[in-house]
Amino acid sequence: MSEEIPVVSEQEIAQPILEFIRLELLGPGDTIDMHDDLLSGELLDSLGVLRLSTFVEERFRIRIQPTDFVVENFQNVEVLSRFVLRAVGARNGALVDAGD
Amino acid sequence: MTMLLHRMIEEAADRRPEATAIRCDEESLSYEALARQAHGLAHLLLETGLERRDRVAVLLNKSLEVPVSFYGVLAAGGTLVPIDPRSPADRVAQILRATQATHLVSETKKDKLVEAALAGCPDIGHVIGVEAESDQAYRNHSWDAVAALASDRPPEVPITDLDPSYILHTSGSTGVPKLILHTHRSAMSFVDWAVAEYSLTAEDRLSNHSSHHTCFATFDYYASAAVGATTVILTPSVLMMPASLSTRIEEEGISVWYSVPAALIQLSLRGNLETRNLDSLRWILFAGETFPDKHLRQLMDQIPSARFSHVYGSTEVNVCSYYHLPEDGDFVVPLPIGRPCANATVEVVDEDLQSVSRGGVGEFLVRGSTVMSGYWGEPERNRVVLVRRPTAGDLEEIYFRTGDRGRVLEDGNLTFVARADLQVKVRGHRVELGEVETALLSLESVEEAAAFTVPDGEGSSSLRAAVVTTVPAESRSKEIQAALKGKLPMHAVPTSIAVLDRLPRTATGKVDRRALQTHLETEDAPRHE
Repeated sequence: MSEEIPVVSEQEIAQPILEFIRLELLGPGDTIDMHDDLLSGELLDSLGVLRLSTFVEERFRIRIQPTDFVVENFQNVEVLSRFVLRAVGARNGALVDAGD
Repeated sequence: MTMLLHRMIEEAADRRPEATAIRCDEESLSYEALARQAHGLAHLLLETGLERRDRVAVLLNKSLEVPVSFYGVLAAGGTLVPIDPRSPADRVAQILRATQATHLVSETKKDKLVEAALAGCPDIGHVIGVEAESDQAYRNHSWDAVAALASDRPPEVPITDLDPSYILHTSGSTGVPKLILHTHRSAMSFVDWAVAEYSLTAEDRLSNHSSHHTCFATFDYYASAAVGATTVILTPSVLMMPASLSTRIEEEGISVWYSVPAALIQLSLRGNLETRNLDSLRWILFAGETFPDKHLRQLMDQIPSARFSHVYGSTEVNVCSYYHLPEDGDFVVPLPIGRPCANATVEVVDEDLQSVSRGGVGEFLVRGSTVMSGYWGEPERNRVVLVRRPTAGDLEEIYFRTGDRGRVLEDGNLTFVARADLQVKVRGHRVELGEVETALLSLESVEEAAAFTVPDGEGSSSLRAAVVTTVPAESRSKEIQAALKGKLPMHAVPTSIAVLDRLPRTATGKVDRRALQTHLETEDAPRHE
């Protein structure tokens, strides 16, 4: 993880991501936590992963580069949050309005 | 040379027992291990009452257990019914009931789905691979029980090449799946052709991109086994992440690839290919959809080591024609589907099944040893699609009606025009959806395109389209519409064009028009706060 002053915490990033997945992407009765495999094909399909990445880009105002679409960044909500935190930090170090 | 699918792994295990048959993430199976485990499953199936031709359904995520199940069922003389692992319970139940399957092979991860699906399937007596505390209306058998029966020796059961091998189901567009029955012979005929045409050897490493229930997997698994090559199963995690997929191709040294174009387009656009060495790739086969030529040319530049082959067919006929792209990349557009395979005849006929004059557009009829036996349990449909035509000696030959329309080009190559059922009526005009998509794809900014119709509420249909563009925000629907007006008649210009991040796709990777229709209808609905 980057050593820059964190602009938001991993937890603050993870919560809205989990909420988005629960509300928008999961089937009825499915549950999700920080360590569930997002790429197993069980929870999300490829369109679901795309919608998730679009949500993350809009919500956290970052741009995910093609080279960042790797398993290591998307395997679960924990690593995704860590990746977003790094991307937010790299963007400008400014405060992110995570509440809008 | 064997005429039975499962004998191929036995022969490969005799020749080179230690050779790797299957790779899946970090795991491997040698031919010897694959044969032993498959025989274990075959013995278990027979001990639990399986009889020749009985149906055994396989509901598994991608894993080493998939090929073990395939060969185990076949070695027991059963008919394999691979089911899309993403199917909802009612769909699984529908397939189990329709095929009257007696056994189901699955995994503990799918326990809830299995339980829900089996609630209404009294024919299933045995479930293998799902750990459960107690038996239900059916008996449970663990994978450990299969391993305990592992053996070098296959069970001795009578099987001929005309016995059924598998029933594949189509996914998606209509509510009811078509169940397509093949024999050992129809599958082996395809395998023999593929081995010869692509000069497959034991050194090859074939990708498995598609799910095990698709006809693509027939090539990935069986053509590989025929020569004792390795099949590399690509799991959803790498398939969803193109930059990870390209790393996997490089690390695994994949030499032969077969998929729909969509997977290759993602690889080309987002696979970070300039930093990878993919020289191991020597053949790239694609089928199922149009490959937009700008993406195809780019991919050919990115992977200069590979020859590219456009293959044509369907689950009903395997592959029946092929077109190897010229090595210099100088191919014609639209890309031909080439010449009939050595084991197939393709004819172009009119509505009365009479041959059309050379160059005329008609429906493709296919005759050959790779054609299916028929749709399971659908005598009426079989009478319509498996047509008999007279030949010399007062005999008849059986042809499959593909529902695809095309023609023969001057150089003898076949070219595809459209699906007969993708011809729609819009306010009284006949529109080929394929033509609308081709026009959209010819625009610089359009990466992927799908055209479809939705009811217009006035008894007719309204033409719509969805696109993925390279220029995100600027590329507005209205601009694309304006550009199309120079290319298509007014009635063939979609009334609205949605710009999406990605098109929804079916399990094989084809555009899922039904999902698009539903998705965009929802988008149109007023949002309730």
